[in-house]
Amino acid sequence: MDQLDLLKKKWQSTEQELPRLSYKDIYSMLLKKSSSIVKWIFYISIAEIIFWTFLALLVPESSTKFTDDIGLHDVLLIVNIVNYTVFAGFIFLFYKNYRKVSTTDTIKGLMHNIIRVRRTVKYFVIYNVTASVVLIIGINIYYYLNQDLVFQYMREDFGVVNISQERFMNMFFAIQILFGIVMIALVLLFYRIVYGILLRRLHKNYKELEKIEI
Amino acid sequence: MNKELEHSFVTQLEENQNIVHKICRLYTNDQDAHNDLFQEITIQLWRAFPKFRGDSKFSTWMYRVALNTAITLYRKSKRTIKTQDYEGVSFKISSVPYDDTAEQQLKLMYSAVKDLNDIDKALVFLYLEDKNYREISETLGITEVNARVKMNRIKEKLRTILNP
Repeated sequence: MDQLDLLKKKWQSTEQELPRLSYKDIYSMLLKKSSSIVKWIFYISIAEIIFWTFLALLVPESSTKFTDDIGLHDVLLIVNIVNYTVFAGFIFLFYKNYRKVSTTDTIKGLMHNIIRVRRTVKYFVIYNVTASVVLIIGINIYYYLNQDLVFQYMREDFGVVNISQERFMNMFFAIQILFGIVMIALVLLFYRIVYGILLRRLHKNYKELEKIEI
Repeated sequence: MNKELEHSFVTQLEENQNIVHKICRLYTNDQDAHNDLFQEITIQLWRAFPKFRGDSKFSTWMYRVALNTAITLYRKSKRTIKTQDYEGVSFKISSVPYDDTAEQQLKLMYSAVKDLNDIDKALVFLYLEDKNYREISETLGITEVNARVKMNRIKEKLRTILNP
């Protein structure tokens, strides 16, 4: 096979074109495996905030009119502001973690940072899930206490007719509860899958580092 | 002790890094993937280093671990996404800017080699590295006869790809 042999000749003559890494480059590689995972945590948190913002834009006008009419406008605004602030804070923390991990050059320091990353992600997930649960329960308690208003504006804003208030409210809360459970389940599932995978990998790296350190 | 081990490992890898670069070039299509694979191989080598007893040459041991890493990693990425960066596929040939036929043939050959399956590629890689069949069989953990037979089949395959 002369063509393969020609390639072989060429192959061996291209040796000097190969990249050349220094001792330090290679040494730091032994430590940096975790930084790409931490980078992904940072990226995903940004993607997440964009996703929620988009979702908020998709809410139909009739539904925002309903929450405005019933007097939740200010409350929801404050909730949003708080939520975005906390979210931005976490993104900043994730970024800081990422910078830290990618500049660490001792095994001990890296292990320490991995623990910190895992802790930040844990708080982030706890915050998000708790916030969703509290918000959903809070709003529904408000609806429950103001059933007359809910029924009135449902008729005005959504054109609900031909149904008694009692039956309507039963249905309304049944749907709310179902919707709430599905939402929370989706949020939990999302975090479990996305961050779960990343954290498990980090943990594996941590164990490897531990072996090296002994 | 740990520091000593680290130092001896990094020094030897630094000396022999060409081997890893060549494997990366063959198994990946762009610079990012190249760097990722290099790092992955480095980590696998480091993890296996305590078991390296020195009864074979460091470079021989490196060929084995590095190829194994490339093969398993390649398998994983094939399961997920197969991206082909055709820019990256082209073989770096520095000399003549004009594409004459011989050079074209060489490029085709190279991309045919890159398209081989992971195991065959490892075999061709060692062949290109001018290893004899005994060394190839040792590195890949197959018998010498098997290596010979496989290599002949690959050559046949490449022939049919290039001259259909």
